[in-house]
Amino acid sequence: MLEYSISIKYMLIGYSAILVVLFIYIASLFVRWRNLQRDLNSLEQTGKKG
Amino acid sequence: MKPQPVALKILNVLSLGLFLAALALVFLYAPLEVTMNYVQKIFYFHVANAWVGMLGFVAAAVAGVIYLVKHDLNWDIIEVSAVEISLVFFLVAILAGSIWARPSWGTYWTWEPRLTTAAILELVYIACLLLRQGIDDPDRRARFSAVYTLLGSISVPITFFSIRLFRTIHPVIIGTGSASSQGSFDMSPKMLVTMFFSLGAFSVIFVTLFWHRIRLGQLSQVVDQRKMEE
Amino acid sequence: MTIEPDTASDHLASRKSSFEQNPSFLKSIGAIIWKDLVSELRSRELLTSMMVFALLVILIFNFALELDASTRKVATAGILWATFVFAGTLGLNRSLALEKDRGCLDSLLLAPVDRSAIYFGKMISNLVFMLIVEGIVLPVYSVLYNTNLFVPGLIGVILLGSIGYVAVGTLLSTMAVQTRTRDVLLPILLFPIIIPILIAAVKASSGILQGMDLVQILPYINLLLVYDVIFIALAFMVFDFIVEE
Repeated sequence: MLEYSISIKYMLIGYSAILVVLFIYIASLFVRWRNLQRDLNSLEQTGKKG
Repeated sequence: MKPQPVALKILNVLSLGLFLAALALVFLYAPLEVTMNYVQKIFYFHVANAWVGMLGFVAAAVAGVIYLVKHDLNWDIIEVSAVEISLVFFLVAILAGSIWARPSWGTYWTWEPRLTTAAILELVYIACLLLRQGIDDPDRRARFSAVYTLLGSISVPITFFSIRLFRTIHPVIIGTGSASSQGSFDMSPKMLVTMFFSLGAFSVIFVTLFWHRIRLGQLSQVVDQRKMEE
Repeated sequence: MTIEPDTASDHLASRKSSFEQNPSFLKSIGAIIWKDLVSELRSRELLTSMMVFALLVILIFNFALELDASTRKVATAGILWATFVFAGTLGLNRSLALEKDRGCLDSLLLAPVDRSAIYFGKMISNLVFMLIVEGIVLPVYSVLYNTNLFVPGLIGVILLGSIGYVAVGTLLSTMAVQTRTRDVLLPILLFPIIIPILIAAVKASSGILQGMDLVQILPYINLLLVYDVIFIALAFMVFDFIVEE
């Protein structure tokens, strides 16, 4: 049988990895969205001026 | 760009809720497995992510073919979204599985069929994204991407069976395993409940993220069109 | 009911009848192969670079791996196929790049030639070049390592593997050459897709060289055949989509 302390350690590392990767991805979606919105706004601004 | 539809907002809340509920089930409800106790719990999310990665894989292949037939760029957006989120979900599955493997099998990595095929699939996805990056014309990019995804979606399953031709140690949990596989364990009813709930939760999360990514793609398309009009 | 000229089913329909309606289909393929062979005969740049590269790879393996008599038995198949895969990439890249740079690709597309004839023509000429290189690597390796590689089964496996490699490679290099990143992209696109060929070819070659029973080798040869058929058919169906303008 696997020793409890090792088992718990790896379990926590595993779940941290899962959470971190998912979080990074979702964050990247937010960041990319915000950048695109900004691009769109500035394009519309120059469109109005020009 | 249209604001989030009500359905999506509901999905956001539902996804978060189901995710937290799944975590609760994993840590509070599911019993400890006999040999591997705590670290076995990674399995629930590992399998769920791999399953959802598969959904994305199929979606990408289908969307690519539909694009080739219909030449509607919306299907290209769907295809690249599926590729991207499948990439992420398989990455999570591989990482989680790798960390689980260390105390269980004594090694982070093994060249067994499922794991190797997953790694190759990730490479196919990355290749597809790199291919897209090298093309500016939206129609050509969509066509090439669809063709490559189609090639990959046929080659990767063949790869899986090729590797299986000569080795396996991946745990088989539904009892159909060949005599040479080791490391299988039986799942008690509570474990099965947790497993299926995790699968369901991640399926909902998949749909939600897929939708968000598609919206992102549509916004990107709008911005590109505006830029070209400049 | 409206008829949409550009749907995939129409492509398939026109191609099914191309052998009957277009007796020049085979002639077009022949012409393309002939063009490639003749121009290569004059310049020899493709073959020389592939050849030198292949021999260099074998040289590198000599220093990279300890190839004593026993390891050699096991490693030969792998070394040969690694060499073929890398040298093959060179050939595929150059072959399509030459087309594009000389403007041949565009002219071919303008000509009243069935698109898939272009594919088959390029594929077969790529195959010929690859087989020539392999045909020289085999004796060189045999001499350098005192191993007899002229076993009929091995030649067959090399042929099958090369066919599959070139089938997918021609398709992908046609795509890669139209991107900004060109040469660099081909290996990245190609290698994950040809893994089944690599597995089957290495295992089959290794089995033949070590004198294993046919029973053990047959599954891998089947795999090669299946892969070749599937991917040639696939390339045939899909080639039009990657040379549209």
